[in-house]
Amino acid sequence: MILKFNRESWGILFLLAVTFVLAAIVPDAPSQAVAENGIFLGVIIFLAVFYLVQLYLQPENNRAVTDIFLLLSALLLVWEITLGKLALLDPLLFPGPARVFAVFGSDWQIMLAGVASSLFILISGYLLALLIAVPAGLYIGWRKRLFDVAYPVAKAVSPIPPTVYLPYAIVLLPTFTASSVFLIFIGSFWPIFVGTVFGVFSIDHRLINSARTLGLSDHQMVRRILLPGALPSILSGSLISLIISFITLTVAEMIAATSGLGWYIEYNHQFANYYKVIAGMILIAVVVIVIMSVFDRVQQYVLRWQQR
Amino acid sequence: MQYGNNGSRYTALSNVNLTINNGDFISLIGPSGCGKSTIIDIVSGIREPTNGMAMIDQKQVTGTGPDRGTVFQDYSLFPWMTAFENICFAIEHTSPEYPREEIEKRARDYLELVGLTRFPNAYPFTLSGGMRQRVSIARMFATDPQVFLMDEPFGALDSLNRIYMQDLLLKLWSEGTERKTVLFVTHDVDEALLLSDKIAVMSPSPGRIKEIISIPFARPRCRKSLSADPEYIHLKSYLLSILYCEMLGEIGNPDTEWKERP
Repeated sequence: MILKFNRESWGILFLLAVTFVLAAIVPDAPSQAVAENGIFLGVIIFLAVFYLVQLYLQPENNRAVTDIFLLLSALLLVWEITLGKLALLDPLLFPGPARVFAVFGSDWQIMLAGVASSLFILISGYLLALLIAVPAGLYIGWRKRLFDVAYPVAKAVSPIPPTVYLPYAIVLLPTFTASSVFLIFIGSFWPIFVGTVFGVFSIDHRLINSARTLGLSDHQMVRRILLPGALPSILSGSLISLIISFITLTVAEMIAATSGLGWYIEYNHQFANYYKVIAGMILIAVVVIVIMSVFDRVQQYVLRWQQR
Repeated sequence: MQYGNNGSRYTALSNVNLTINNGDFISLIGPSGCGKSTIIDIVSGIREPTNGMAMIDQKQVTGTGPDRGTVFQDYSLFPWMTAFENICFAIEHTSPEYPREEIEKRARDYLELVGLTRFPNAYPFTLSGGMRQRVSIARMFATDPQVFLMDEPFGALDSLNRIYMQDLLLKLWSEGTERKTVLFVTHDVDEALLLSDKIAVMSPSPGRIKEIISIPFARPRCRKSLSADPEYIHLKSYLLSILYCEMLGEIGNPDTEWKERP
């Protein structure tokens, strides 16, 4: 298998190589110096390998991947030169890449614990919302009378940011974990619910008639017809919910947590450790990218019957 | 059988009287908006008539049931199930007593009958319009109902595919030990003449049956010799003239058009 290289692919490897050499040989500006820049070098190599693997897995149609990596490696190089080597901006607020990536070496335990606690809260709240909102939405979308009441209410209530419930959540629920699970549940409930109700409502009526000619029971109707028919809309609601959950989670953690991704940033902000703040942002970005790509995969699988 | 349906704003059907013998192939023909599909909806049990009723074997139709199989124009199949799953799903619900292997065997057999052995795992959106209708027909035959209800099943197909599907339908229909009763909606005069024992010509606003015409040709019918038969030509021009009168009436009375659908 020979990798298909075009000009952009070589450009990416060239940019990464220049960054690597700069990082390895040229000393950093004194204000940006770190004892150990091995992790930064590792990140550069990882990016190069990751790109080549992508190229190998998707020999065709990799233009978007190539463009993204081109942008990424160019940014990395600019960052390294302007801030790492030349320290053109305030070194406290704008640290160089070597200093930022070194944080992943020194703080990895606390970061890992943060990822675990954040994901636990996120997944519990989100799954709870899915488990309740989808069946409720299917049933209410199916009953015209309930729909007429529930849909306007849901549309009115859903834009309220879930963080407004924060004061009561903190007072009424015993732990931070419980109250943030509750917040995420509330925040992701409405978009999934509205998506489900709307999905049921927008199923082609002729398909429902076709199902009715088979004499389905109510239960079978919901499970075999309404649920799959509403899935495209359920998934778009779920995506909005996922984004809202993440925002809610990080905000809640910044206010009241003792662990987690948002807490890590807020905590280091209080000590003016801006290089750690940036490391925390990168960590969040990576977690978000992973979650979103899992979501994409799931969506592609469950909607495989749909014309794209 | 008697039907009647008074909608809130318009009368879709009024005073429709149609008796269908067991094993008859009846076509409903008429301009759009004359209530052909409403009749199918009532017989299939999707809609309840506001007045009158539909009866099958002296029993009044209440709701949908496995004794009637329906094929619609282009939306009978569930897009989230493969061809095979669509057929299995229908058999599961119309004959719940069958064991799983029997259901799957039947589904495979009927897919083979309509020549789709190679596409059991295809989702409907990957199939052509003709293939989708073949799956729908396979599904209807696989559920083995007493009465077939077909609402312009070939209306969305090109003429070559339509010829193929008409022959396929006739073949499957006449192969069984006893012929099923078919109520077939179409707006194609040739199609009605080729397939039916009787043709009910309908007229709109309110929908009613204008005339019932018996089709005398012996079965099996041959498309080629039929079209040269003077009797056929006579019947065709007669049917066309009735329908044409209806259409002239429509044009003369433009108010009727917007009443078609509520």
